[in-house]
Amino acid sequence: MRAMARRYILVKIVCDRRVTNEEFHEALINSTKRYFGELGLSRIDPRIVKFDAESSTAIVSCEQPATSELESAVALTTRYAETPMSLLVLRVSGTVKGAARRWK
Amino acid sequence: MADLLSTAHYATIGLTVATGLLNERVRSMRRIFEEHGVNTVLRADFKPDSRTELLRLLRRFRNLYDVVAVRCVNQQVATVSCRDRRVDIVFFDVANRNLSFSHTFARLLRGAVEFNVVSDLLDQTDWWAFSRVHKAILVAREHHVKIILSSGARNYEMVRSPFQVSALAMTLGLTQEESIRGVSSTPLSIVRENRMKRAPEYVEQGVKIIIPSGQ
Repeated sequence: MRAMARRYILVKIVCDRRVTNEEFHEALINSTKRYFGELGLSRIDPRIVKFDAESSTAIVSCEQPATSELESAVALTTRYAETPMSLLVLRVSGTVKGAARRWK
Repeated sequence: MADLLSTAHYATIGLTVATGLLNERVRSMRRIFEEHGVNTVLRADFKPDSRTELLRLLRRFRNLYDVVAVRCVNQQVATVSCRDRRVDIVFFDVANRNLSFSHTFARLLRGAVEFNVVSDLLDQTDWWAFSRVHKAILVAREHHVKIILSSGARNYEMVRSPFQVSALAMTLGLTQEESIRGVSSTPLSIVRENRMKRAPEYVEQGVKIIIPSGQ
């Protein structure tokens, strides 16, 4: 069976303090679970492919048919552990290389 | 906020300014955004309580702004603002349980309806707000009215990229084409049309001065 295509999303983290990979992962999963539930989370299947705390940038992958759902979940993220945090989607691509083109 | 908008790849934004704000202050605000490569369009958001107040505001301020939007707070204001040609955008408060974008307003609407998908849904704890926006989007689609999607950002924490605004609308019931149109071509066409109307050579719809008198 052929694996389902994935999409790679370049995300910019806007937060007053530096966010770690674990914190970002937790915020992402919490937001996805909150708005789409466990079933939605399994359908979206978000995974962090690349993370850079220095530039507050990450590449997140998801199942291709659920791209807009992950983007929505990312858009509705407002805080992590009482710290205001917003996530900006800068680019959506079919490859990691394509998504990383805007990596700063 | 300007650098964040630039990072989010916004080319043009609607800058909502208070009607009493001094021209110099507005100019300096626009300069800040333009320094970051973001064009600005002056927008006025009216929140009248009655039909008379709305008409007074439109008479006084319509010509000063590129875009005029009305927040519909009651049935009377919503009916008049949907019907009036001077109103470019109408939007409804998602928290107002007594009023929402219905079939009646969709039939009357001459401008466009705006959905502030980010600001309306951010920090919402109940499903109810999502349901209301979803229903309003379905009504707008059914009547083929112009849809504008906005983040409705009031501070830098509420800024989201156009991708996200479009994705949220897709999740709430719009197609990909409609949602992309909602963040790009529809708002831009309203601005272009209004700028054309404000130009000195414009006389009325379909009529404009090409050769000035005396030449």
